[in-house]
Amino acid sequence: MRAQRRWAATFLVLSLLLLLVAPPLAAQTIDEIIKRGKVIVGVNTTTPIFGLAGPDGQPEGYDPDVARLAAKYLGVQVEFVPVTGANRLPFLLTNRVDMVIALFGITPERAQQIWFSIPYATEAAVLVAPASRAVKTVDDLGGLRVGVPRGAMQDLILTPQAAAKKINLMRFDDEATALQALVSGQIDVVGTGLLVNRTLNRNDPGKNYEVKIVLRPLHFGIGIRRGQTELLQWLNTFVYTIKNNGDLDAISRKWRQLPLEQLPVF
Amino acid sequence: MDYVFQFGVVWRDFPALLLGAWLTVRLSALAMGLGLIVGVATALAAASRWRALCALARVYVEAIRNTPFLVQVLFVYLGLPSIGLRLRPDQAALLAMVINLGAYATEIVRAGIKAVPAGQLEAGTALGLSSWQLFRHVVWLPALRAIFPALGSQFILIMLASSVVSVISAEELTAVADTLVARHFRSFEVYLVVTGMYLVMCLAFQAAFAAIHRTLFARWRAV
Repeated sequence: MRAQRRWAATFLVLSLLLLLVAPPLAAQTIDEIIKRGKVIVGVNTTTPIFGLAGPDGQPEGYDPDVARLAAKYLGVQVEFVPVTGANRLPFLLTNRVDMVIALFGITPERAQQIWFSIPYATEAAVLVAPASRAVKTVDDLGGLRVGVPRGAMQDLILTPQAAAKKINLMRFDDEATALQALVSGQIDVVGTGLLVNRTLNRNDPGKNYEVKIVLRPLHFGIGIRRGQTELLQWLNTFVYTIKNNGDLDAISRKWRQLPLEQLPVF
Repeated sequence: MDYVFQFGVVWRDFPALLLGAWLTVRLSALAMGLGLIVGVATALAAASRWRALCALARVYVEAIRNTPFLVQVLFVYLGLPSIGLRLRPDQAALLAMVINLGAYATEIVRAGIKAVPAGQLEAGTALGLSSWQLFRHVVWLPALRAIFPALGSQFILIMLASSVVSVISAEELTAVADTLVARHFRSFEVYLVVTGMYLVMCLAFQAAFAAIHRTLFARWRAV
């Protein structure tokens, strides 16, 4: 009898512990998000302009600001979960986040796994190098060490041609490490976004980093799990609204120092 | 749960995973050999008469054992170029692993040397052995035998820890797995297979350690 009670107590304590460490289960519908009073958003905190950890440890940048705006329009709190280019999709699929707002370039391959909202940002997959590096086309990359964030668009574009063109393609777990590798001289060229060379020049003056090659223009969408029709409909309405009421333009001017461009819809 | 398992992508890219596993094995095996040498050398330095050498060995062991391996890896790859030492990712990974394992091995080897009975040392000294001969003939094998299991588990630990060197773009097993996940989004399938591969590598290393143990200490068995 006493043994049984001890087992029951142990079981109770263990399940309580499990409850404490178990990740919050993501909401499946917009009603669940509103009822819970908070939206859980995956953001990247290693990418200058679109998402960095601020001085207070909270994410700051274009994407976190869009997330805060979405929470405001939903009337709920926002909870950030840091994701990387490689793990943002698994985080979404395993219900760790309600949505991903993390430089998610819209591609048909990705759309087989998840759904995208209409674009909320314009970007490009580019290659950046110091001014002294003579690189004009992808063919000039032979023999050079090119660092890319693993699984990012630059990785997907360069991988099929790397072997034939003798590109030494090096994949880093996140963009910050790839950029640091460029600054440390461990790589010659880095795959990144359009305006990142400004951040590089500010932090590592004298090298005059510039965009050498634009691999592909991109638009970012908000990623959600497939089949969440309601949430998708709300997000599209949300993006449409902030595009037209000046909210998104303000975010663009704040982080990109550029007015918002015309964004396509689908 | 309506997730559909698709292992097809894993098998299609299995050669890439094998290549990654091969780098993991090579890095680990080299780190084990070199790390043991560093460990023995540092343990001897820590036991030496020269105060400065002792202190240096202590600083090394404490600094490495009390800092995260990931930070050590990043420091070797991204930090050392500031003083002109530029290593390829796999070289940087190996160096970090040797430095890390060396510190842990030092403590293990030190314990082994301490475990040799004082009487045997005195007997050796009485026979007129030099300190090198003493180490070579009296201390080394009994010490190694005493610490073999502890050393073995430390070796396995460094092999498992090598999975973090993907951050500096060394293409070992975990890095290849991450790339496949990023490409096909089949995280469950890929990581399940990779877990199995790590398990197989661990068992293989343990079998190798057992074989080395049998060969080295064959004549001890009768005792």
